[in-house]
Amino acid sequence: MASAGSGDEKAAAAAMITLISSDNEKFEVTEATATLSQTIRHMIEDGCTDGGVPLPNVTSKILARVIEYCKKHATAAAGEEGSSSSFSDAAFLEVDRAFLEELEEFDDAFLEVDRATLFDLILAANYLDIKGLLNLTCQKVADSVKGKTPEQIREMYNIVNDLTPEEEAEIRRETQWAFE
Amino acid sequence: MGLLDLMHHKSMERQPDCRRRRAQDTNGLVAQAKINVLPCQQDDDSQGGERDIQMPNLPEDIWHHIHSLMPMRDAAQAACVSHAFLRSWRCHPNLTFSGTALGMNKKTCVNDEIARDFLSKVDQILRKHSGIGVKKLTINMSQFYTAKDSCYVNSWLLIAVTPGIEELTLQLSMGEYNFPCSLLSNGSGESIRYLHLCGCSFRPTAELPWLKSLTKVWLHAVCFTGDELGCLLCNSFALERLVLTHCDELVCLKIPCMLRWLRYLKVFCCENLRMIDNDAPNISSFLYAGERIQLSLGDTLKMEYIHLMCRGALHYACVELPSSMPNLKIADINSANEMANAPVLRSKFLHLKKLIIRPTTITFSYDYFSLVSLLDACPSLETLILDVSERKMEHVSIFTDPSDLRKGQQHHKMKRVKILGFTSAKSLVELTCHFLESITSLEYLTLESYQSRPRCSVPANKRRKCFPLPIDVLREAQRGLLAIRTYIEPKVPSMVKLRVVEPCRRCHAAVEL
Repeated sequence: MASAGSGDEKAAAAAMITLISSDNEKFEVTEATATLSQTIRHMIEDGCTDGGVPLPNVTSKILARVIEYCKKHATAAAGEEGSSSSFSDAAFLEVDRAFLEELEEFDDAFLEVDRATLFDLILAANYLDIKGLLNLTCQKVADSVKGKTPEQIREMYNIVNDLTPEEEAEIRRETQWAFE
Repeated sequence: MGLLDLMHHKSMERQPDCRRRRAQDTNGLVAQAKINVLPCQQDDDSQGGERDIQMPNLPEDIWHHIHSLMPMRDAAQAACVSHAFLRSWRCHPNLTFSGTALGMNKKTCVNDEIARDFLSKVDQILRKHSGIGVKKLTINMSQFYTAKDSCYVNSWLLIAVTPGIEELTLQLSMGEYNFPCSLLSNGSGESIRYLHLCGCSFRPTAELPWLKSLTKVWLHAVCFTGDELGCLLCNSFALERLVLTHCDELVCLKIPCMLRWLRYLKVFCCENLRMIDNDAPNISSFLYAGERIQLSLGDTLKMEYIHLMCRGALHYACVELPSSMPNLKIADINSANEMANAPVLRSKFLHLKKLIIRPTTITFSYDYFSLVSLLDACPSLETLILDVSERKMEHVSIFTDPSDLRKGQQHHKMKRVKILGFTSAKSLVELTCHFLESITSLEYLTLESYQSRPRCSVPANKRRKCFPLPIDVLREAQRGLLAIRTYIEPKVPSMVKLRVVEPCRRCHAAVEL
């Protein structure tokens, strides 16, 4: 179902990996896409991928999104290598700028999901050890609490307040500067 | 942090037994990221739809990671969300202490009270911080620092500069504070990648530890001798970028050949510098501004970008660079007191794609048309920016001497030409006509009159008005526009887009010629 994207057609002859979601859906991806996940990379290195890689913590809905991210960024990684000029200062590279902008647009669109899906993506990124995706999704959560009061943060993310009123008052005093 | 825990897990996990791996995949890693579905708070329906979806909870290490991505101020505010957030705040990895970050920049005048307030806030935050996990520490107190604060700074650095630190920025003033190099011997020297010091003394000795991760160094208004810098450089083999600005104690900058990764070297306005002696073999960007000094740049075959800002830089660039830097791609030459015209070049800049020339304080005898010989030596050139903005136009105007215009050789690669500060100087008009008639590949020609800095159109300009210009400058700008209409516009071929930028009509009064 998840066939090779246009960017990795050259590598189509290369090994394909089958990923199996918790609800038993199979996804076929190129090795370049799959190895954005360090977890899968190590399994490939250890030769543990014959017959597919079961990912019992990731639903097909989330896995499809994760693969979408990996495909885009695997192409990006390949593109970067190909176009990398020997310039030490990226500021001069006008060519790569458009490319990075496109990637940023993709990331922005990718993050247009509800909170539950965002959390599932975080958990999947953590489990599959995809650093870029983990940072991207966690940053989205970090940005979402910007300017929110502690009460609002607790409410947004169902976080139980386990501080006593005295403790909370003490921390408030200590971090008063941040509320000024 | 999740990934770190994961790496730990993986190291345990990396065993060849596939079955065992599968089993661990379903249990081991997941144990970290266990999905705890919290019971929906049915009584709270203020959030509507989203609450109906079962919200997975995140493990503490992921919340810690999220918390670490927040700016310090937001992270501090979130500290009283729960115990987990408080724990996370105690080891927040990005500590930025500046007037802005601590919300103190509202008052413009700095008095003792604000300085004391700054000290006590930073002190309070750092004393409660565990010192663990700090990756990035920025202390910017250039507005507040006085000599008596040095013990504070010492104690802060002792708390926060710990093994694992990656970036350290310390901005003070007056150069009185002596950066304690011994600090880097606690293991932090192993992890530090970026060191930015400003307004202090930096006196490394042979005892400086091996700084194996240090890739970027920026020293601004820092006191050190060439030998002391040498102690830093010979322990920093991973160095990729070295920037020295306003370091006035430095006389001779010697860069050892061991710095194989050094790509970028910028030396600006170091008043007493007399010599740069480079042995690093792979520098591709070199930026220099200051007095004319002895430049011995060593093997410069890899050089692709050069920015020179000094007396007679253009002449130097024409005479010295084509043979020593044959692979140059971008040259930005800012040349003061250019006396002699551009010489005929003996060798060529075969790969130069972009050339920016800014001759400042040009003498009346300077012949812009002589630049043609430089352009002839740049067969791959695509973009030329020539900034001839000068307040006093002393050249012979085309209107004084409208006799025959000189012509040059053809050029087939140049696409974009931009001339800033356009006047009616005859040699400049000749040069522009040459571009139109001899550059077969030309697509864009931009001619800009002298512009005030700042302009009203720049968003950062709060006055929303162009800086006033003297009447002479505006009059010459008008003459330049007339020269464009008379001599240049009739020669513009159909495939060239001519763009003329006049002085701002909103801010400057119209001038009669």
